[in-house]
Amino acid sequence: PGAAAMGTGTPPSPSGTAFEETRLHVFTLDYPHVQIPFEITLWILLASLAKIGFHLYHKLPSIVPESCLLILVGLLLGGIIFGAEEKSPPVMNSDVFFLYLLPPIVLDAGYFMPTRLFFENFGTIFWYAVVGTLWNAIGIGISLYGICQISAFGLTDITLLQNLLFGSLISAVDPVAVLAVFENIHVNEQLYILVFGESLLNDAITVVLYNLFKSFCQMRTIKVIDIFAGIANFFIVGIGGVLIGILLGFVAAFTTRFTHKIRVIEPLFVFLYSYLSYITAEMFHLSGIMAITACAMTMNKYVEENVSQKSYTTIKYFMKMLSSVSETLIFIFMGVSTVGKNHEWNWAFVSFTLLFCLIWRALGVFVLTQIINVFRTIPLTFKDQFIIAYGGLRGAICFSLVFLLPPAVFPRKKLFITAVIVVIFFTVFIQGITIRPLVEFLDVKRSNKKQPAVSEEIYNRFFDHVKTGIEDVCGHWGHNFWRDKFKKFDNKYLRRLLIRENQPKSSIVSLYKKLEIKHAIEMAESGMISKVPSSVSLSDYHEGKIKPLSPTEMENMREILTKNLYQIRHRTMSYNRHSLAADAGEKQAKEILIRRRHSLRESLRKTNSLSRERPVLAFSNDFF
Amino acid sequence: TGGVPRVPAPVTSVLSLAVTSEQIEHLHRRFKQLSQDQLTIRKENFDSIPDLEFNPIRGKIVHAFFDKRNLRQESDGLADEINFEDFLTIMSYFRPIEMNMDEEQLDRFRKEKLKFLFHMYDSDHDGKITLQEYRNVVEELLSGNPHLEKESARSIADGAMMEAASICVGQMGPDQVYEGITFEDFLKMWQGIDIETKMHVRFLNVDTIAHCY
Repeated sequence: PGAAAMGTGTPPSPSGTAFEETRLHVFTLDYPHVQIPFEITLWILLASLAKIGFHLYHKLPSIVPESCLLILVGLLLGGIIFGAEEKSPPVMNSDVFFLYLLPPIVLDAGYFMPTRLFFENFGTIFWYAVVGTLWNAIGIGISLYGICQISAFGLTDITLLQNLLFGSLISAVDPVAVLAVFENIHVNEQLYILVFGESLLNDAITVVLYNLFKSFCQMRTIKVIDIFAGIANFFIVGIGGVLIGILLGFVAAFTTRFTHKIRVIEPLFVFLYSYLSYITAEMFHLSGIMAITACAMTMNKYVEENVSQKSYTTIKYFMKMLSSVSETLIFIFMGVSTVGKNHEWNWAFVSFTLLFCLIWRALGVFVLTQIINVFRTIPLTFKDQFIIAYGGLRGAICFSLVFLLPPAVFPRKKLFITAVIVVIFFTVFIQGITIRPLVEFLDVKRSNKKQPAVSEEIYNRFFDHVKTGIEDVCGHWGHNFWRDKFKKFDNKYLRRLLIRENQPKSSIVSLYKKLEIKHAIEMAESGMISKVPSSVSLSDYHEGKIKPLSPTEMENMREILTKNLYQIRHRTMSYNRHSLAADAGEKQAKEILIRRRHSLRESLRKTNSLSRERPVLAFSNDFF
Repeated sequence: TGGVPRVPAPVTSVLSLAVTSEQIEHLHRRFKQLSQDQLTIRKENFDSIPDLEFNPIRGKIVHAFFDKRNLRQESDGLADEINFEDFLTIMSYFRPIEMNMDEEQLDRFRKEKLKFLFHMYDSDHDGKITLQEYRNVVEELLSGNPHLEKESARSIADGAMMEAASICVGQMGPDQVYEGITFEDFLKMWQGIDIETKMHVRFLNVDTIAHCY
């Protein structure tokens, strides 16, 4: 693309005299001026239109995950561009991927991560991420080297180090792919957090291994000291990334403490600080993914209390939108980049790569689980292990890493690219499509997306305290002990510093208030707010606006309201923090609305007027 | 009193087999610490546990240790003192599930644990959690929070009770009154939550060996 500027006037010819000038152009087309933003916009628009297209046939997203469809669209586009121009289409620049497309997805995931579950399973996640990835990388590298030694395949020029490097970049489980596939199959949260947590935490080790082997490939000799440097590097990369994230998370929380006069730009701080943590980490070659995850998780609690309701909604929606666009673009680009001339096909290398990826993943998960089950209170069953192994999808991260390989050091780079693409396509397409029927076949426990109920929150709190109490009696320091300690520290120091109007909060109260507000909005929208107020308005009103009632009258009021609210307050809408798809909620709201109108009509018909049968309700109307 | 279905109590000696001898030793040491080398523990002995002071539902937890229903004794009410066997009995409610349990055992296991929780809510031992008892629980839970008024705690309890009613009884007529949560209703409410995996104390899982019941 690149049309030249055209005009209705005659363009100045090179041989023209200096006196000939161009007439005024009535209409000009100046494409190069806007080329870059124009193309970006077109790509994003295309991606979003593709998404609309998929959902037109409603069954499609449930059979085939969106990621596959997007790759197919990308392939199509790539084919068109290739056919039209006879050259490889613009390959997704690794910088674009790592600096612009990846952060929004990780931010979104980190912000809405169920922290409690994450920390409860932290040991297992860490174990899989670090040891598992190491196991995979070295296993695949060495076995591929063994294959390369067989001269019949024509691969003998690939050295051990190159194989190890290849192994390290292909063993990384990809968070984007995992998210894309797992979000539709709704396995239980425990399983989801294990696979997804692993895909996030393995970034540290992937970065280290990749850089390590790449440097080794370029170094003449390798000393023992270099290996130790590698190990030290791992700790620095991981811990450094997390520290940067936490630090900037606290700064962000502190900043939002003072933003109450300029509410409009509050969401901006959230995004800026998280992105800053990512690129700062990248600047020092630390793990950007871990930085941004840590930042989001730290920031979440405090920011939520400081910003206004509207800002909070904005943050949520904008985050979801950005991550959705990023994800779509990534998959389309992967499809586009596949078509082209940077491939070298070698049956042996490609098929053995795929084979070894699968074998080592399965072996790795199995062996590691046997070890970690000793330390877990709830051991992982075979079903769980199977899903964890099967959910080890590769995606855009390996794709970009392979494109970053310096061709001078890797003469067979095209071979690697082909192999990586085959593995990615296999995992995304085959594993992505078959995981849903497998989950159903194996009867894996699904997540019960119940609506948060106040009673459940009460039970959970009660439960925590019971467990903590029993642990105290036993004299044992369990998870609850540390969590309690952290909560105390949090309440004493952190919250005072970072939150503007600090009132010690109970999760029960906040959940109750949230549901009340939702309920009130619902009722206002359905136009029924006049008749029966909810108990929140009761407690807000009675402070000083109307004549005081005696306590017994208040008691009666309460009892009656309580009883009458049985019919109306059937269920409240779900407030699911992990996704904003409120399809079920809207349908439910409509259903509730219909039921209410119906019941109201019923009671009207029965009594002929609302006030006559219920004298006390009429009394309550006077009261308000 | 009042229709509380009694779960058939397994023999106490079998129960103590469910924890290994190492764990029994550890618990025995702890018991001796708490009882100050006496043979029994009284309520006052629990005051010596420092961290328990900060627990909002401390009263209920201590009460649970002396509740005769939890001690699987046929009578009702509160015991004055408990010996080591009783202590173990209470602790056994918090043992984790084992891999080789079948459906029936799991179900019984779950019911036992839920019964323990039910007894903590039902303070007057009449087999039902009434609105007042529920309010009591919520007030205690939120008692650590000085800014919260009693009114809020009560409205929360009321809201929760309503949810319970809608789950257990469904659509209610305007004149129906919901008496209280019985144990069956309680079971219904906890249906979605796998309590058997959550309700255990980690320490009790050290080196469990499979036992047959």
